[in-house]
Amino acid sequence: MATATATLAKTSWADDIDEHEPIVRKPTIEESVDDNGIRTVVEFTTNEEGKKVKITRKIRRVLHTTVVDHAVAERKHWAKFGAEKGSKPGPDRATTTVSEPIELKLAAGGVKQAEPEPDDAQAMKQKLGGKKVLCRICQGDHFTAKCPYKDTLEPLGLGAPGAETPMDGVATPQNEPAPSTAAPSAGGKYVPPSMRAGAANRAGESMYKPGGNRDDMPTLRVTNLSEDAEEDDLRDLFSRFGRVARVFIGRDRETGVGKGYAFVSFEDRDQAQRALERVHGMGYANLILSVQWSVPREQRPGGA
Amino acid sequence: MRPILLQGHERSLTQVKYNAEGDLLFSASKDDTVNAWYSYNGERLGTYAGHNGTIWTLDVDYQTKFLVTGSADNTMKLWDVQTGQCLFTWEFLTAVKRVAFSEDGELLVCVTEQRAIAQGAIRIFRVNREDGKDQDEEPITLFHPLGSKATLAAFGWDNKHIITGHESGKIAIFDTKTGEELRAHEKAHHDSVTDLQLSADRSYFITSSKDKSAKLHDSRTLAVLKTYTTETPLNSAAIAPIRPYVLLGGGQDAMNVTTTSARQGKFETRFWHKIFEEEVGRVRGHFGPINTIAVAPDGRSYASGGEDGFVRVHFFDETYFRSRPYGELEPED
Repeated sequence: MATATATLAKTSWADDIDEHEPIVRKPTIEESVDDNGIRTVVEFTTNEEGKKVKITRKIRRVLHTTVVDHAVAERKHWAKFGAEKGSKPGPDRATTTVSEPIELKLAAGGVKQAEPEPDDAQAMKQKLGGKKVLCRICQGDHFTAKCPYKDTLEPLGLGAPGAETPMDGVATPQNEPAPSTAAPSAGGKYVPPSMRAGAANRAGESMYKPGGNRDDMPTLRVTNLSEDAEEDDLRDLFSRFGRVARVFIGRDRETGVGKGYAFVSFEDRDQAQRALERVHGMGYANLILSVQWSVPREQRPGGA
Repeated sequence: MRPILLQGHERSLTQVKYNAEGDLLFSASKDDTVNAWYSYNGERLGTYAGHNGTIWTLDVDYQTKFLVTGSADNTMKLWDVQTGQCLFTWEFLTAVKRVAFSEDGELLVCVTEQRAIAQGAIRIFRVNREDGKDQDEEPITLFHPLGSKATLAAFGWDNKHIITGHESGKIAIFDTKTGEELRAHEKAHHDSVTDLQLSADRSYFITSSKDKSAKLHDSRTLAVLKTYTTETPLNSAAIAPIRPYVLLGGGQDAMNVTTTSARQGKFETRFWHKIFEEEVGRVRGHFGPINTIAVAPDGRSYASGGEDGFVRVHFFDETYFRSRPYGELEPED
């Protein structure tokens, strides 16, 4: 960083741009290693557009030692050839990249075939049985909300001549909400949160406020948990009391090692209560588990 | 798992193969070079340049000394694995569709395409392992399989037998010396056989076919041991060592990709339980049909090459080795 400030002191940033002077500056690299053995490499460079870029890389080096065949060890020192002739050792990013993580879950019973999603309109029509769907605008065979002339034509008045019951849905016994006001939220189609059923105010809502579905679930806080416990372990442990909706294990952000606490959400409060009674004080991986009700952020004494 | 993505080819992959120890991975594609990679980190060791057309097939011998490739430029080439130099070139009248070394590297089988100018032929060459440049141009055996043309061939449980896969779906055993058809299973598949890979001990093998199924066969009797039926044409099938799974790859033909529904599911590597004939898992990633799959000899990783031009090397997570989807009872290998 010392070199960077020195050059900046000489010329102002405005001059810099006017002259288009290519600043030949070696990338400054700062390296630090924290207690967990995580190496943080902060690199300051200028990119092609002349903008200063800060690149932070966090690297954890793990040494894997493997015993290999003599021939294999020898092959590791082969000189590169062909298009790679003279390349320096190590993977080249032009040809070798690491892709995003992929999960392979092995399970018996065959992989379920994703059924083609039934068409909304088809499903609704089936629901109505043989009854006819009639558009209030153009008298076509579709719902008013789906009418192609929705924006251009005025709806025909109720009880238009000729039509017996020109209403959407033909008055189903359940008295469905008029499709023109409630957008269909079923099916796989994306519906913005503000348009979804149950969205009280259209102004949007904060994720931090209580009332979200996550906080509604009865959640247990498990402490004095073994570092090695995994989500699946806890799921196994708690699912015997009922359906576990969510398991969260507190982990160190960098090392991924468990911090000794977890949250387990149930779908049913009684089941959660039963789990609390049974698991609290139970020995698990040489530790005595402690289970309490999780207290939402606001109600906790002392605030956040 | 985090797959390593190898982008060394400009066109779709035709075959990927590990060497005997599994530390090197070779990939051939419809462009005219072969790449060699270190399988553990995806570093490219080198390229083998010299062909003038699609390289349909490759094989590497047990010592990782010689690499053999077959190409659409009507030649088969022998390469020095370490230096990337072409040692010898055999020329034919038609494209070479499949090549394979015998287990001891002494023999080489080569399948050439059937065209108007030449019958489809299977040739056996003896390999001079001392001096790679001094090879015999003439095969020790040359024969033309009757009926449907052969597209695949591999040495069977010994050097005296060759197992072949044919366009009609037939599989057969031929005698290496005489070229006589010893045994045949005419209707092993209902459509062309696309891949044929033997188990480590060569006592059984797996075939994949365009008829959307893969089958496990006994090497000596050709009897169908197991059938894995999927919903997509298969291009490749491999047997996983250590764990009782087989890996199947496929997808609709490249020419039909744009005209049919682009459901991702078709381009996944499917894991089937070898014994119970049931699909146990899938690995997504490719955005084109999977053309070729190879499992590392130690069973800890596998590579797949796709129509999209990428090779993806996957290292299995610990859960893959620990999981027992069908209970603790395990088949013995």
